[in-house]
Amino acid sequence: MRKFAIVLKYELKEYFGNKIFMGLTILLALLGVGVLFLPRFVDMSGFTGVKIVGGEDSEETETPEGGRPLFLYADQAGVVQEEVLAQLFPNVEWRQAEPEAVRASVEAQEAEAGFVVTGKTEYKYYVFNKSMTDHNTALFQEAMRMFYRMDYCGQKGWDLEEVAGMYNVSVTVEEEVLNKDSGSNYWYCYALVIIVFMLIVYYGQMIAVSVTNEKSNRAIEVLVTSTSSNSLLFGKVIAGAVAGVFQMGVLLGALLIAYQANREQWGGMLDMVLHIPGEVVAAFAFFGLGGYLFYGFLYGAMGALVSKTEDISKSSSGLMVVVMVVYFFSLIQLTDVDGVATKILSFLPVSSYSTMFARIAMGTVAVWEIVLSFLILAASIVGVGMLGAKLYRMGTLRYGNPIKLSRALKDLKKSE
Amino acid sequence: MRLEVKDIYKSFGEKEVLHGVSFQVESGKALGLLGRNGAGKTTTIRILMDVFHANSGEILLDGRRFRPRKHQIGYLPEERGLYPKRTVIDQMVFLATLRGMKPGEARESAKKWLARLEVAEYETKKLETLSKGNQQKVQLAATLVNNPDIVILDEPFSGLDPVNSQILKDVVNELIGEKRLVIFSSHQMSYVEEFCDNIAIINQGQVVLDGELKEIKREYGRNRLMLAAENRTMEELARKIETEWQGLARVCGRKKEFLILEPAEGADKRTLLEQLARSDVDVEKFGRYEPSLNDIFVARVGEEA
Repeated sequence: MRKFAIVLKYELKEYFGNKIFMGLTILLALLGVGVLFLPRFVDMSGFTGVKIVGGEDSEETETPEGGRPLFLYADQAGVVQEEVLAQLFPNVEWRQAEPEAVRASVEAQEAEAGFVVTGKTEYKYYVFNKSMTDHNTALFQEAMRMFYRMDYCGQKGWDLEEVAGMYNVSVTVEEEVLNKDSGSNYWYCYALVIIVFMLIVYYGQMIAVSVTNEKSNRAIEVLVTSTSSNSLLFGKVIAGAVAGVFQMGVLLGALLIAYQANREQWGGMLDMVLHIPGEVVAAFAFFGLGGYLFYGFLYGAMGALVSKTEDISKSSSGLMVVVMVVYFFSLIQLTDVDGVATKILSFLPVSSYSTMFARIAMGTVAVWEIVLSFLILAASIVGVGMLGAKLYRMGTLRYGNPIKLSRALKDLKKSE
Repeated sequence: MRLEVKDIYKSFGEKEVLHGVSFQVESGKALGLLGRNGAGKTTTIRILMDVFHANSGEILLDGRRFRPRKHQIGYLPEERGLYPKRTVIDQMVFLATLRGMKPGEARESAKKWLARLEVAEYETKKLETLSKGNQQKVQLAATLVNNPDIVILDEPFSGLDPVNSQILKDVVNELIGEKRLVIFSSHQMSYVEEFCDNIAIINQGQVVLDGELKEIKREYGRNRLMLAAENRTMEELARKIETEWQGLARVCGRKKEFLILEPAEGADKRTLLEQLARSDVDVEKFGRYEPSLNDIFVARVGEEA
């Protein structure tokens, strides 16, 4: 235990003494906090819907004065109402023109867009360069529908407002979610699954590289004669876990606290990712960390099977496939967390870190299921840790070509 | 302390690489473990250090099973290796604490050994920034940082220039003088001759010669004599002996600077000296021939090492 603590301390010093690691962690946290504090100092009402500058809330976006784009229209059907166009295109200056002039002006880039209404339900749209975000046809279509309704009601002698009121009658709803609201939990679940995946891949690779480096710089022979391989691998993996948890903790903690302090200014619009209930954070901490340790030991063992860092991808490719499959499956299954497949996967140590966590956050799960799943995960971590340490010890002085996992396991069985 | 390696066998897969290796060494004496590349020296040392497990045989320390982790051992592996991106002092303290020292004690000892090996100025530098020779000295300092009772040095002189070799020689002599048990593996016979009281030559996985070096040299020298002349080339001298002194001696070997002679039956050093005195040979060198360790090694192992 003492030697494990020495290895852990030494490995932690590697992470926390690394200026890039610490600098990046602090920089990212400050950046995140800075962005979340922005609405206090900058008018972001156009984005958040909450007007801070001037001190009053406003639902409307101010219309910029001057420099409004010019749109032309030609009305061959006699149905166009300019006030409707002004309502639907508030930041546009509308002018009527002859059909030929509409096209010519757009082509000469004197007008940004042009519409020629050829019938009650037909029109032509002219634009010089159509951008990815061009929604003019959708808006003009809505305007055409309105013209049609006005024309129809006029012909029948009906009151348009009365008809519209009948169609758009407002209904009030009082909703009470008795268990979990998947709609509101979905996004932070999604984000947290991605975070664990990133932690596993990023720190798993770092652990593997660290083990391989000890082989390639030959420090390993001195180390294995000074302490047990269990102390070495456990120290290394746990140090990686602590570093990962620290980095993620600082980032997430800073974001959550900064958002909490500025939630009102954001109008609650980031609740879906940053307003996470305590029990979900706890489930994420336990299962996320468990999954991370589980894969960390496997990455450590994979690192011991090669002698050069450039060969790590060869030995860890199978593991990477498992991680990726679990990741994609977890994301897909977020819409069906109570399905049979998710239930089965929530008990397997390779996938419980994300699937059981998702079930806790969004589905229906009994306490015994959570306990059982966590016990299986914890036992698997210990098992994988011991196996990883044995592979690490066995691969220690086998330099040269990468050792295949199947070969390593056979040799391990033989040596026992 | 008396360390005994008894009848060690080791196989890798189907191939047996050690076939019953045995030798012994005591405190205050150094054992030179010699052998050609691939003879089994490093494997034997790794078994001694519990890096590999032997298939059979035993290692005893004072008659009891030897457990490396229960003793303070300084092990300098053939494949040198520390952490290139960590500072010298950090990794030395790390290794010393792993071997049981308290952090303060470890730091003090690390500083002491760095100073002794004349690399104290690099203690806060990253290892990769040091020259190869200084890295080698740091590695040796890391080997000795825990003040070990047993020191195992696998090719300690490789990569050292003459000045650094001298520093290392002094340190090894001090260790022997301090009654530590030293096992020394090297291809460089001159160093082994300088430090080791005992040798064990391993060839193709078995000990082909072991014992006290002085005894071995005496035995290998037998009654042979060496002769060199001022006024004769080696060729002329050899021809003269073979044609004129047939009844006295025969040439059984040639070195760069002298001939090795084997006295004929009934002849000895004195009779040959008398013959020389009567002849016109201007003697440059004459005396009992003592073979070098290199000669013994070549004679025993078969080819030039």
